[in-house]
Parts: sequence; structure tokens; C-alpha cells
Amino acid sequence: MARKLPQLFFALSTLALVILLVAVWKASTPEWKRYQHDFAQLEAQGEPNAVAKAAVLAAPPQIHQAMLTGLQRVDRCTTCHLGVDDPTMKNAPEPFRYHAGLGPHISSRFGCTICHGGQGLATEKNAAHGNVAFWQTPLLAKEYIRASCGRCHKEGDVPGVPELTEGRHLFETQGCRGCHKLNGVGGSIGPDLTEEGANRRSPEWLEKHFLTPNAVSAGSAMPNFHFTREQARALTYYMLSLTSEEMGTYYSSLRLIPSPEYGRQLFVEKNCIVCHAIGGVGSKTGPDLAGVTKRHSTGWLDEQLVNPDQVYPGSSMPEYDLETNARKALVAFMATATPEDAQAILTHKNVPLSPEDAAIEAGKRDFARFGCAGCHGTELQGGVPNPNAQGGQVPSLLHLSDDYTKDEIIAVIRNGRMPPLDNAKGPTPPLYMPAWKALLNDEDIHQIVEFLWSKQQKAAESW
Amino acid sequence: MNLIKEIWQSIVRRDPLSTDKGKSELVFLNVWLHIHPAKVKTENLKFKHTFYLGFITFFLFIVLVTTGIALMFYYRPFPPHAYQDMKDLEYVVFLGSFLRGMHRWAAHGMVICVFLHMCRVFYTGSYKRPRQFNWVVGVLLLLLTLGLSFTGYLLPWDQLAFWAITVGTNIGSYAPIVGGQVREILLGGHTVGEAALLRFYVLHVAVLPALVILLTIVHFWRVRKDGGLSRPIWKLKPNKPDELVTIGAPPLVAQATAVPASTDKTYGLMEVVTGKPIFETITPEEEDEAVFSYPFAFFREAIALMATVTGVMLMSLLFRAPLEEIANPAHTPNPAKAPWYFLGLQELVSHSALLGGVVAPTLMVIALLAIPYFDRNPSRRPSDRKWALWLFTAFVAINLVLILIGTFFRGPGWALVPPWVHITGAVE
Repeated sequence: MARKLPQLFFALSTLALVILLVAVWKASTPEWKRYQHDFAQLEAQGEPNAVAKAAVLAAPPQIHQAMLTGLQRVDRCTTCHLGVDDPTMKNAPEPFRYHAGLGPHISSRFGCTICHGGQGLATEKNAAHGNVAFWQTPLLAKEYIRASCGRCHKEGDVPGVPELTEGRHLFETQGCRGCHKLNGVGGSIGPDLTEEGANRRSPEWLEKHFLTPNAVSAGSAMPNFHFTREQARALTYYMLSLTSEEMGTYYSSLRLIPSPEYGRQLFVEKNCIVCHAIGGVGSKTGPDLAGVTKRHSTGWLDEQLVNPDQVYPGSSMPEYDLETNARKALVAFMATATPEDAQAILTHKNVPLSPEDAAIEAGKRDFARFGCAGCHGTELQGGVPNPNAQGGQVPSLLHLSDDYTKDEIIAVIRNGRMPPLDNAKGPTPPLYMPAWKALLNDEDIHQIVEFLWSKQQKAAESW
Repeated sequence: MNLIKEIWQSIVRRDPLSTDKGKSELVFLNVWLHIHPAKVKTENLKFKHTFYLGFITFFLFIVLVTTGIALMFYYRPFPPHAYQDMKDLEYVVFLGSFLRGMHRWAAHGMVICVFLHMCRVFYTGSYKRPRQFNWVVGVLLLLLTLGLSFTGYLLPWDQLAFWAITVGTNIGSYAPIVGGQVREILLGGHTVGEAALLRFYVLHVAVLPALVILLTIVHFWRVRKDGGLSRPIWKLKPNKPDELVTIGAPPLVAQATAVPASTDKTYGLMEVVTGKPIFETITPEEEDEAVFSYPFAFFREAIALMATVTGVMLMSLLFRAPLEEIANPAHTPNPAKAPWYFLGLQELVSHSALLGGVVAPTLMVIALLAIPYFDRNPSRRPSDRKWALWLFTAFVAINLVLILIGTFFRGPGWALVPPWVHITGAVE
């Protein structure tokens, strides 16, 4: 045995060397080098003279990457997709083909994964395309790509993507926020959707889910809204665009550049004049906004717009789900706003409302904004299935005044309620009335009840 | 030519290795080798007596230090860069994936080898007088190894890392009074976050390795002073306590009279130079069974080293180190599992937090540390220590079974599942 020791040592050392060489060989021949070699051949074909050909072929292989600080990512896709920016590669085979129709979205400034998904850091085909375990955003199928526009174009109509506008509209009118949180505003019966586009389920899953929730998620509490295919597609687009990633200012759509004009638009849109005055013109409910930017720092104002209640405990200002740039724009507008502006905004409001109608109007807005319509219906008709609740569905709100007083309803909204059971031994119904007192103050609730009662009267008349 | 020869001789100041003097000088004139004796007993070198587990553990540690330092060049210990650096290692750093694989597999290997080494030392009774305290040092090294592995586990900052450390530190927090505070100090907060990553990094690359190196020096020194590598008791010549002086280990009963002069020298290099062996317990009768460390011991060590390195490299070539999604505190995987060597404890915690989080680990550590002082039986023969062997076997078996259950038989909600779902995927 002892005599064989040197041989054994030598054999093991050789084996170690062989393994090391194999590792080095594997590391030196990644697949991207093959693609770069093929691309050089392709490019050389198009070169007019031998010197240029030789220069193209002699270029050393290297990783190409777009460092996208504003998008917080590094995309190495162009290591293989070498012709993306080169119009002469219009008819080249993949992965070298030119990407037509990018407009201003050139790959060196935008990378690829912000729209296409996939794993920008990877340099192996399957991993880069995200078709591997532990990568949540594989390449988006072609038909859903346009959903990604909404990741930067967070507001307004996106040209060429009507689905996004429609999806956002449906989300805010069908009462989705009643159960789902988005950017911190909404209920907690269903999952938080803030990161839905980042921690992505497959688009097919989402679409099926909107058509028949129970088909893909057995026992889901989500009611069937009987969406059409187009509506389901629009909502899927919207979901795929949802992410809390901060996109740099460079990537924000024009509308999101925080100009005072955009701020004014928002001021009108969000109806701030209903509570606030500027230099004495407007309502007295909230503080006068003239000179507010001199009284408070920009950061304070920004925080106030995110979390009114935390900056100013007891503040009756509602939370508005505003983008960073939207808040900046509002602050910019407040810095320049004059009483004349307020007057102009007031005169442009079409119908001057009586206090009663204003309360009903506010209640109607809150009813939609906080997602009550999700279960009770946009026309208060109810009817969403809720197994083992009395009647098997969410009750209609059209005949409340027959059974309840306003105060009783206020109490139900404040404190929430479990629905009475059909069968006392059966399972707990999936849907219930949440307690709203944390989100809505007494005035809000009162306004909602006013709105409900305004509907009651109409229902009674129609009898 | 003379100059070259002169330079060579100024570096290597020993006689040629063909002479006995040269072989001895190779050992004791060399700062790195002189922890070895110049001569060793052939019996001690036999693979089947120790399986070289101590050597292998030490070599794995060397592999870990080497690859670890290389990895440090590419790693930033704060989120989310830590995770991106993993991806860079995986996809753009030359041999980065190979390097990370070696570090990962060597780390698992070291935990396993330290444990096996401990088992070997127990079964051969090698912790008995005069080596009691070296066993204690060994147990501390085992705990440090677990600590190194655990702190390293967080560094990739992926889901696996994040939740394993969350669960692992939660188990620790069940300890009464101090548990919560220890967890808070370790994490630098109430949850695993940026502060925890930095703390684990500093512990992983500086504090714990330094402690391991210090204790390893003590461990080796004591092995050397206590008679070198272990061998079965029945292969030892009958003990002659009157004639032997074992350095650093006075007899149990203080002797009234002076120790009689020994016929063999146990120290003093000049004797060795003239050809006498330096080895504490070698008696003249044993001399004929001893061989020079060079080449017999050194070749065996070198083979163990190469086998270790080759094994680790082969593992790394065949299996990539795991890397999951980036850590996401909002998304708990189901089930969230601690690193595998803590899954026995997690299994116990699932039955009783007190038992798995407090009683079992505390008792285990205390019992391990106390073994050499609790076991008063002086005999190392297996036939004399049936109880000890049975108890230790039960301890090892219970640990193994619990870890296996925790690893392979627990699925979502910590419910029992058949082990193959980890390969085939759970049936919906």
C-alpha cells in the first residue's frame, strides 16, 4: 500500500486538473459567444471590402449590457440580440433581428425586460427568457406585451393601448378596491394587487380568472362579474402593468412630468376645491392652500398627500392613490395657485350643488372609490353569490329604508357585519361586510348613507 | 550556478531527503510542518482507524477560506446588490458559478465531516484522559462550523436564504428571557433585513473564521501533545505510566515522588537531529514500528487533501449551487424551512416550541460538552463501554431521523408528505 501512495497522489492530482480544465472549458464557451460568432459572420456578409470584413470577424466577444439606473435593472439581452438597433438586420434570423417600431424607446436607454419580461442579468437562453425555476417574470407572450406600457405610463390614455384605459376604468368602477388593496388603498378580503405585474401569475391565468374566478382558483371568494372577453383582457392588461417599482423621471410619460399644469388638472379631477380654498376662494372645510408651500416643506406636503392621517392626526382628508410625480405636480400647482385660478375652477364646475346634493355626490364617489360596488353592485342591486349567507347572495341595497334606520346602517358600515347564515352548521360565507371605521370618518359614512337613501326614494317611487 | 545553489540552500536549510537527518529536518525546520512529529507509528496512519475525517474537515475549511476570499471580491453585503452579485457570479464572472458551487458544497461537506469526525472520536473513546478538553474544543468547533454555515446561508439574499434565516433565528428566540434579545442583537432588528445581512456578513467572513482558526490551532496542538492520531486501544503497547511522561497531563493522583527519569526523550531537538525520534509516547520498544513522517504521513495527508479538493470540484461541476428568487419579506414560501442541519430542531419546534427551541438544543450542547467529564469509565475498549456506545448511537440516530423527517417528509403547512413530492412536485 505504502508504495502506491505516490501513484494515488498523482492520479488524484491529474483528476483534479482534468476537472478544473473542464470547468474552465465550460466557462470559456458560453452559448452567447456562439451567437456573437454567428452574428459577426452575418455582419461580415454585408461589408463591402475585405478589410472591413476582417475587422468585423476579429472583434473580441464581449457581454453587452444596458445599465438602466432609472429602471433599477441591468439588461444583457443585447449580448445575443445583437441586431436590435440595426435597421439593416430587418430580415435577419432571430436572435439577430432588428426591433422595428420602438419609437423613442431605444434599447440602450430602456433595455428590454421592462416591456418583455425575462431575466436581464442572465446570459443563457433559458434563464434569460425566464423559463426557469425561481424566476417570476418569464417573457410575456406577444399578445400581452402592450400591457407593459402601463408600467411607466401610469395615467391617462396610452396611445395604441386602449385596453389599459379600459382596465383602469373597470378597476375603479366595478369596486375592485372593496376587496383588493392597490398602492395601499383598498380592502383586505382579496390579495394585495400592488405587485401583481411584478410577481406575475401567467396572463392566461389572469384572463381565465376574470372570466370565471372559480375555474382557476377553486373556492375563490371573488364574485363572477360576468365580464366580456374584451373586459377580461383589459383587466389582465392592467394587472400585468401593476408594479411598485419606481421608474426614473426620464421614463415617466409626459403627463407624469410634475408640471404645475398637470397639477392643476389633478386639482380639478380630484375635486380638491370642494374642501379647500385658494386665497379665500372656495370651501372652508379644509385649510386655505394659498402660500401653503411656504408654510410647509415639500417633503411634508408630499407625506400629507400620501398619508393625511399620519402627518396630521384626525385629518379628515381622504387618501388619494397618487403617483410620486402626481404629488409633485400638485405641490408645484399649489406653489403657483392664485385666487383667480380657484375662481376659474369653480366657474367651470358645471352644476353648482346644494349642500344635500353635494353630500349625495360625495357619498356616490366614496361608494365607488372604496369598492362598495364590487359586492353591492353599481346600481345597488346586490346579487353576488355568497354561499351559505342568507339568500345565498350579497343583499341588494335598494330596499334598506324598509328595514333599517339611517343610524342602524351607519353602525353597520362603521363596524362591519358577518352575514346571517343560511345554515347555522354550514361553512362561513366567503364575503362579509368589513368594518370601515378605520378608513372612513363619520362624515364620509354619513354621506354614503345619504347617497344610499337617495337611491331608496327612487326605488320606492318606481313601485 | 553557485549563486542559484546558494539561494536554494538559503531557502531550504536541510539535508537531502535521502538521509534520515534530512527527513527529520524537513519537519522541524519548517514552521508549517513542525506540528507533525518527525516520526509516526505506522499503526496511527491506517485509514480505517480515523478515516482521516479530521484532516478532511480541515482541508474543507481551507477550500472554504480560499473560495470564500475569492467570492468576497464580487460580493456587496447589502440588498438588493447582494442578490444581483449572485446573478453576476452565475452569468458573467469567469468561473464564478464554479467558485460559488465549490464554496456551497464544501460548506455542507464540512458540517457533515465535523459531525462524522465527532462520531468517530466518540466510538473510539478518544476523548478520554488526557484528551478530555480537546473534545470540548472539538464541540466548540462543531458549533462554530454550524454558525459559519448558518451565517453564510443568508448572504445570497434569495428566498431560500431569507426564510431559512427567519425560521432559524425564530427557533433561537424561543429560549427564555434571553432568546428574543439574542435574536435582536444577531439581526440588528426584529426582522431579517439590511442590518442582519451586514451582521451575518461580518460574522461570516471575519469573526467566526478567526475563532475557528484560533481553536483549530489549539485542537491540533493538543492532538500532537497528547500522542498524535488516535489508534485502537488494543494496538497500544501496555501502558507503563511510571516510565512515561505525558506533557501537560499530570496523573490523576498527584505523585508524591519525583517522576522517574524516562529512558526516552520527549522533547529537545538535538536528540532528534542525531536520529532519535521526537514523539511523546514512543518508547524504545515501539521505535521499530515508527516511520518517518516524510513521506509516509505527508503523502497520506496530501492524498486526503487532493481527494477533498477533487470531490468538491466534481460536485461543483455537476451541481449548481441553489439560488431562488430575490428575498421577498412579503411572500412566505410554504413550507419555510431552516437550513437542513437545523431541521431536526424545527421538527421538534413543530410539536413543542419549548422542546425544540430550548430544551433539546440546550441539553444537546451541554451533554456533548460534558461527555468526557461525565464518562468516568477509563477503558476505551468497546466491550467495556456498551452503555456509552448505545446512548451515543441513539443520540445520533434520533438526530438523523428528525433531520430526515424535517427535510423530506414535511410539505406545505408542515404536513406529512411522501418524500418523492420534492422531486415530482406536489399533486394539486
